[in-house]
Amino acid sequence: MLKKLISLPIAAAFLVSCASVSSNDDFNAAWEAADAKRKEAAAVGYEWRDTKKFLKKAKAEHEAGNTEAAMKLVAKAHEEAEDGIAQHAREAELWASRVLK
Amino acid sequence: MRMFLVALAATAMAIGGLATHADPETDRIAFQKYYTTKFPSVPRDDFQNGIYSIDKVSREEWMEIEEFPPYELAIDAGRDQFETPFANGKSYSDCFENDGAVRGQYPYWDAERKEVITLELAINECREANGEKPLKYQKGKIAELSAYMSFMSRGQKVNVVIPTDDPDALAAYARGKEFYYRKRGQLNFACIDCHGSGSGNRVRSEMLSPAYGHPTGWPVYRSKWGAIGTIHRRFGGCNRQVRAASFKPQGREYRELEFFLTYMSNGLEFNGPSARR
Repeated sequence: MLKKLISLPIAAAFLVSCASVSSNDDFNAAWEAADAKRKEAAAVGYEWRDTKKFLKKAKAEHEAGNTEAAMKLVAKAHEEAEDGIAQHAREAELWASRVLK
Repeated sequence: MRMFLVALAATAMAIGGLATHADPETDRIAFQKYYTTKFPSVPRDDFQNGIYSIDKVSREEWMEIEEFPPYELAIDAGRDQFETPFANGKSYSDCFENDGAVRGQYPYWDAERKEVITLELAINECREANGEKPLKYQKGKIAELSAYMSFMSRGQKVNVVIPTDDPDALAAYARGKEFYYRKRGQLNFACIDCHGSGSGNRVRSEMLSPAYGHPTGWPVYRSKWGAIGTIHRRFGGCNRQVRAASFKPQGREYRELEFFLTYMSNGLEFNGPSARR
C-alpha cells in the first residue's frame, strides 16, 4: 500500500514532465514551421508587417508558460505568412490591370 | 472556329503583354495625363507641390509654414557638413560639382554597375571613398546633406533617363513599376490605390496626394516626424501603413521604385526640401 502511495505521485510527475516535453516540442516545431513560412514570404518580398512580432511574442508567452496564447500567436503568424505568399502569387497577374493607361 | 479562338486569345495576350510592358515614355505620358485629366484645374507645374496642389485648405496653411520653413535648420546643418573637410582633407565638393547642386542628376542608371544610383547612395559612397563611415539612410545627417544639396538644386528639371537600349535598365524600371502597382500587406493596398484613383479622397482628416510630383520635394520635413527625412523613409512608412514589412532603405527595391516614380514626374522641377504634415 505504502509502495503504491509513493509510486502514484512519481508516476504523475513523470506524466506531467512528459506532457511538458511534448508540449515544448509541439511549440518548437510549430514555431519553426511558422518562421520558415515567414522567411518564404520575405524571400518573395511579401512578408507582412506584424508576422515577426507575433513570433517574438509567441516565444515570450511560451516561456511564461502561456502555451495556449503562444500557440495561437504561432498559428496567426503562420497564417499571415501563407496569406502573404498567396498575395504575391495573385498579384503576379493582377498588378498589370492597375497600370495607368 | 477553334483556330480562330486560339488566334484571338493569342492576340489578346499579346496586347495585354504589351500594355504591361509598355515602353517607359508611353507609361510616363499616360501617367501624367491621368492626373492632369483628374485634376483639370491644377496647372501642370503645380503638381510638384504634392498634396498642396489639390487641397486648397491645406495649401493656405502650408504657405504660411513656408514663411518660416521648418527645414531651414536642416539646410544650414547640411551646408556645414558639405563644407567641412573629411579627415583626408577632401570634401563633398570633390565628389559633387557645382557646390552640390546636382539633384537633377539623380536617380540615374549606372550601366557599368547595372544598378540605380540615388543621391543618398552617392553621398555615402563619397564618404566611404574618402575613408568616412557611411551615414544612416532615413534621417539625420544624410537628410540634412540631401536637404542642402536639394536646396542648391531648386529649379532643376526632373529628367530621369531610362536607356531603352539597355535591357538591364529596362528591367530595373519594370521592377520599380511593378512594385508601384502591386498590392501588398495585410490591408492589401498598392501605392497606386491611394495615390492614383484614391488621390483627392480623404483618409480620416487627410487628403491623399497625387503620385504625379511625389518625388520632387525631398527630403521633407514632416510635422509627424518632427524632423527631416528621406524619400526612402517615406516608402518604408507607406509599406508599414498597409501592414507590409518595409524594405531596406537604399536597397534595390526602393531605389528602383524611386527610379520609376521620379521618371513619372519628368518635366517638373525639383523643389526640395519641403514641408508636409
